[in-house]
Amino acid sequence: MKQKEIAITAYKCKKCGKLHYPFHDRCLACKQREFEKVKPEGNAKLLTYTAIFNLPWGFDQRYLIIGVAEFDNNVKAMGQIKADSIDQLKVGMKVKPSWEPVRVQYGEDVYGLKFEPME
Amino acid sequence: MRDVVIIGAGMIPFGRRDEDTLTDMLAYASLKALDDAGLGDKSVDAVYVGNMGSGILQHQSSIASSLVDRLSLLPAAADTVENGPASGGSAVKNGLLAVASGYYDTVLVVGGEKMREVTGWRATDFVATMTHPEAEYLYGITLPGMAGMFTRLYMEKYGVTREHLLAVSIKNQEMGTLNPYAHVEMALDREGIFDSPHAVVNNPVSADPLHLYDLCPVSDGAAAIVICPLEKAKKMTKPLVRIAGFGQATDTHALQERDDPTDLKAVTLAAQQAFEMAKLKPSDIHVAELHDAFTILEIAESEHVGFFKKGEGGKAAAAGKTRLGGQIPINLSGGLKARGHPVGATGVAQIVDIVFQLRHELPKTRQVKNAQNGLTVNFGGFGNNVLAFVLRRVEQ
Repeated sequence: MKQKEIAITAYKCKKCGKLHYPFHDRCLACKQREFEKVKPEGNAKLLTYTAIFNLPWGFDQRYLIIGVAEFDNNVKAMGQIKADSIDQLKVGMKVKPSWEPVRVQYGEDVYGLKFEPME
Repeated sequence: MRDVVIIGAGMIPFGRRDEDTLTDMLAYASLKALDDAGLGDKSVDAVYVGNMGSGILQHQSSIASSLVDRLSLLPAAADTVENGPASGGSAVKNGLLAVASGYYDTVLVVGGEKMREVTGWRATDFVATMTHPEAEYLYGITLPGMAGMFTRLYMEKYGVTREHLLAVSIKNQEMGTLNPYAHVEMALDREGIFDSPHAVVNNPVSADPLHLYDLCPVSDGAAAIVICPLEKAKKMTKPLVRIAGFGQATDTHALQERDDPTDLKAVTLAAQQAFEMAKLKPSDIHVAELHDAFTILEIAESEHVGFFKKGEGGKAAAAGKTRLGGQIPINLSGGLKARGHPVGATGVAQIVDIVFQLRHELPKTRQVKNAQNGLTVNFGGFGNNVLAFVLRRVEQ
């Protein structure tokens, strides 16, 4: 099956170069309003993670592993982690991003980021 | 700006209160504060109600209007203030500014939340609605999950250990057994939740590396204060407590956008503003109520407000420096961990607990001897909207 494109967009300030995700109307650093759209590129590095055992309404499963990772082009984003156990993970490890269903709302799949350990 | 004092304080026991509606709880706490102020049959100029989620949890809106009607405080001005888990603190700030400016003289501030009438599954989702909708909430992140990711980084950077976290949960649950208003009145035994083979069952992982007893409970409850200008309170016979300083600061909504996610900038800034306004420094504080929704937060906040250097808070907790009789007693009410965390009530309840301390009303098992100055920190979102208050006993 063809990999779906990762449908998030980061925003690089045209004045000071600060990278933002998610969107801000004004740059967090210099307050300017002009941004260049940046797509996340390459693989990613896992920055932090957790396994959640008390899940919110809408998640009918035993646990969920979630983390924040930084793509090769410095875009940082949260995503679900495709691992059987949190013991497989460590901060700084390489992870492969993909765009897959992350939850079901009103009977429909909702897509988002997933990261799979590469080591 | 006029000096503003707290002339009445009250709260109801936190916990699971199936018999009471949200308005019942707000009314009971308000009446206790009004009676405490000697205003049981009098009016107030304005009412501020801190509440995060009555629209979601009770399908009820405009609760401040509902409360003034219930208390026959008409035609007092009434506003509901929503600022996530810092709703209570924000309500106090609004009342404080209204009195300090000279616009109103007598103001009732009450915070409350009724969270136990929905399932834990729903309550967890409700609290998670404060995260960023597309960048965080979508993935199923929860506030304990945020705290888990934060704890992992804090442990790595500052050497905080599970034993440090354990010291906070044991201290706060011990204090909860001494507080008649506390939700959790069960002392913890280190053996049972850490050392023994049964600990894995008694204290399971909740949001790795945080365990069940690192988290506050989901609670129902309400707390209230009555405030007025100092010059109009001089005839009061009870000791007065002045709101000597406050601060509020915000930080990025999405956690990953912080340059250093272990740096709780909004806590530092809010505390600095409060200390500056009160003309005090951290070492002048005799007792503090910090927002320990998760044990790691008590440790991190104790560093960010300036009680301890970065990396020293965990060791200080483990060494007993934050217990009664220690360098800076923290959360002698049991904190959110044991008093409970009805989100909209918390910011007000912390102030009520410090008022009890500064009026020297508590039994000696919880009272800081001759306490004159107190600090509260009310932490909204995951540190993206934080309020701090410095309270001082007024010598009459």
